[in-house]
Amino acid sequence: MTPAGSLLVATDLHKAYGPTTALDGAEFSIHPGEVVAVMGPSGSGKSTLLHCLAGIVTPDSGSITYQGREMASMNDTERSALRRSEFGFVFQFGQLVPELTCVENVALPLRLNGTSRKEAERTALSWMERVEVDDLKGKRPGEVSGGQGQRVAVARSLVTNPRVLFADEPTGALDSLNGERVMELLTDAARSANAAVVLVTHEARVAAYSDREIVVRDGKSRDMERVV
Amino acid sequence: MSAGQWARDLAMGVRFAFTGGREGWVRATLTAVGVGLGVALLLLTSAIPTIQATRDDREDARDDIGLVFHEETTKTKPSDKTLVVANTDTDYDDKEVRGRLLDPDGPRAPVPPGLKKLPATGEMVVSPALADLLKSDDGKLLRERLPYRVAGTIAEPGLVGPAELSYYAGADGLAERINGSSVGRIEHFGSVTDQSGGEELDPVLLLLILVVLVVLLMPVAVFIATAVRFGGERRDRRLAALRLVGADGRMTRRIAAGEALAGSVLGLLFGAVFFLIGREIAGTVEVFGISVFPSYLNPSPALAALIAVVVPASAVLVTLFALRGVVIEPLGVVRTAKPPRRRLWWRLLLPLGGLALLYPMIGQGSENGNFNEYMVTGGVVLLLVGVTALLPWVVEAFVARMGSGSVSWQLAVRRLQLSSGTAARMVNGVAVAVAGAIALQMLFVGVEGEYTKATGKDTTRANLEINLPYDGQVTAVGEKLGRTKGVQDVMAVSTGYVGDKRSDPDLASTVTVGDCAALREMAKLPSCRDGDVFVAGNEDDQDSEKLAQRGRTVYFDPSYDSDPAKQIPWTVPGEVKKAQTRADSLRPSVWGLLVTPSALSDKVAPALEGAAYVRLDPSVPDASDRVRNTAAAIDPLATVYKWKSTEQASEYAAIRTGLFVGATCVLVLIGASLLVSQLEQLRERKKLLSALVAFGTRRRTLSLSVLWQTAIPIALGLLLASVVGLTLGVVLLKMTSVPVVVAWSSVLSMTGVGAGVVVVVTLFSLPPLLRLMRPDGLRTE
Repeated sequence: MTPAGSLLVATDLHKAYGPTTALDGAEFSIHPGEVVAVMGPSGSGKSTLLHCLAGIVTPDSGSITYQGREMASMNDTERSALRRSEFGFVFQFGQLVPELTCVENVALPLRLNGTSRKEAERTALSWMERVEVDDLKGKRPGEVSGGQGQRVAVARSLVTNPRVLFADEPTGALDSLNGERVMELLTDAARSANAAVVLVTHEARVAAYSDREIVVRDGKSRDMERVV
Repeated sequence: MSAGQWARDLAMGVRFAFTGGREGWVRATLTAVGVGLGVALLLLTSAIPTIQATRDDREDARDDIGLVFHEETTKTKPSDKTLVVANTDTDYDDKEVRGRLLDPDGPRAPVPPGLKKLPATGEMVVSPALADLLKSDDGKLLRERLPYRVAGTIAEPGLVGPAELSYYAGADGLAERINGSSVGRIEHFGSVTDQSGGEELDPVLLLLILVVLVVLLMPVAVFIATAVRFGGERRDRRLAALRLVGADGRMTRRIAAGEALAGSVLGLLFGAVFFLIGREIAGTVEVFGISVFPSYLNPSPALAALIAVVVPASAVLVTLFALRGVVIEPLGVVRTAKPPRRRLWWRLLLPLGGLALLYPMIGQGSENGNFNEYMVTGGVVLLLVGVTALLPWVVEAFVARMGSGSVSWQLAVRRLQLSSGTAARMVNGVAVAVAGAIALQMLFVGVEGEYTKATGKDTTRANLEINLPYDGQVTAVGEKLGRTKGVQDVMAVSTGYVGDKRSDPDLASTVTVGDCAALREMAKLPSCRDGDVFVAGNEDDQDSEKLAQRGRTVYFDPSYDSDPAKQIPWTVPGEVKKAQTRADSLRPSVWGLLVTPSALSDKVAPALEGAAYVRLDPSVPDASDRVRNTAAAIDPLATVYKWKSTEQASEYAAIRTGLFVGATCVLVLIGASLLVSQLEQLRERKKLLSALVAFGTRRRTLSLSVLWQTAIPIALGLLLASVVGLTLGVVLLKMTSVPVVVAWSSVLSMTGVGAGVVVVVTLFSLPPLLRLMRPDGLRTE
């Protein structure tokens, strides 16, 4: 797969944390609507690659372009705005705000973009219905199960209709049944919205939901074409 | 439940406190720092009696002028073991300078504490602080006033504090000037009477002291209670893991208590270290005119032992109390769910109980009755503890009714709705301090009138009064003072006593000598020119008019009971004019004979004492010190008083100073506690903050949300503190039978100070908050 027509492209990324090299010339690209799994053992640099692609962490060197625009040329405010409007996130432990109700959590990205509370919560509820957690709308994260919380997090990541969804071990804290359900809902919803998904995982079962796999080892990436 | 099981569980908790890796150490250190700050302040407070006692002991040990009042010592005969000492205390730049001139009668004359030998004539031994001042540019005018060569330094036993300005100078010829007041002969230094067994303290002052102590120590206690609860969320997760491996609910609570115990014991050590550091720093600072040597700060052993027992015990009890409503399940702690509503009834019982304890003492202050110390302390403690109990309820009730607004507001309100207790605990210390301070300010303002007396001195007519121990050509003195820079006006007079006979006179009166301008400041004169004599009688005075007869001879300084006296004759010249006393006379109660200088001969000068009243030019900042220099140059034994329109009783002033010193320490502590507590909370939410930033939340939104989270409870806390403070203030004023006046300026200033502390703390916590909000906080490997 060539970068031509790619939504997000990274070339020759280098990143080190002190003496530890996390990325050492990693490459990456993704097309709209594509689901790409980033695989590799623990400590291989998968999450760092995801954080760099999402503009959360700045690489030491290399280039990342989103829709042809160099991320390095954006300041922090621009990158934050990009994450708010174009990107969505799902983390391993959901990272829901414990004091907000589930519907308030899902509505949060919209509210950050200036949508009124009523409108934001209405849209949030429709996404909660799609991931089958609308009955949890008034509950707080502490009152729902891990699988339910993760589905709420999926709804939150998609509520702004992002162009790219970043999922970092989204099923890492779930049992296999719950994990599979979350993955089904996540990929179905993303594909129907034509959102690209960068899926970091070390589980082959989870990676099976992707269109393509990239393996990261010792900070270097290798594209593994999937034959369907 | 066996004691062994308790000990085992507590010990396991202690182990957990230190075995959690870096996180564990950080949490334990934060707790220990918090507890340590509180313990250091408690140790300092427990050392206050020692400070006062040591200062008093030092003061007694060097007492000299006090001795000359002693009838027996005034008759001390000169010998090779006696010393003539003169008091030359002065003020410089509004600071007191203790000064003594020493003139030994023989080689075995006593040496004051802190000196190895007496200074020779023309030399002086000075305190280290005075030595520094004299060397500096700021001491230029004082160098002119003390024209002695510095020959040594006074050692610590001769000083009450390291910042004290003090000197002993060698002099000669003092024996001729012994007067039984400022100059006397002594055989030893040191008080001969026990000064400590003094009279009982006024009940209102006792009430003030008790309330000041309670108000200052309560926030410290609240702070310690907050500090032992640091790191609660992480600890809860650990406790859940323990439940998973078989610990029951009670065991987990005891283990948690053990962790708090470890933090508090470490806090005791930190507190001791902070105290020792603070002790050394204390030797270098002067607060409200009080400085102490590090050696003074020795906590009384009993109080220190009490602190060592009570603090860890409180830590255990507070933790058990805090966990009473928390269900620790093997898969997590059920606190993230909405907690049950707080009950109001028992929270109201505390302040009501406090009022009930104070109520029986209403009106006791007016009849010199006694306040029951235990009831006062108990009542005030209960009222202030009531603030800490009511505040969580008030915050919960208030935030439950708050609607959603902006995202930052929503985040803050929802956080408060879920865990209002944490926020309320954070501001409890401030609320208690403000409530107590409002009540104290009201009490101080209310009773101020009883302890502040108008001196009757009109500071628009004179600012300084200079008294010379003898006449010393008062007119010339007036001229010298008049030439001093910064002096606008000088009224110089001299005074003496006359009688109709040389000894044991039947008729006696006072004589005031001065030019017409000076005499007009003392009495109402019909007309005046040099050479005139006036008489101004008062209702009780029958003698003056009889003595003031043209041509009559009277005697200055007549003797009584064969005491030695000067007995100088003077014949009243010319006609004596009638004058009237003046209620606002510059010199108090001037009556009798008023004489202009030409009407007297120089022979009577030795029987007169001179005084000058000086009005200063307010635009010359050091005018006061220049006048003191001129006075010292005229006579080192001249005394200079600064006029004040009011003066306060010394105990009242001391308590007020104590409150200011204590309030400063408590505010610093509260500020530090808020900051530590704020950072603790932020640290626990690091991951969540990073996640929020990762999906694009503006830093401004999160910063504002943190500000609202503090500002809402603080606003409520200050409101509650104002209500409780005003109530306590009214009760205290009623107890002292003083009309109740609400000092709104105090309420506003105290709440303003409380709010200011929060603003400062928020500002200080912003840099770490911004650091914690970096999205790379998501990184776990």
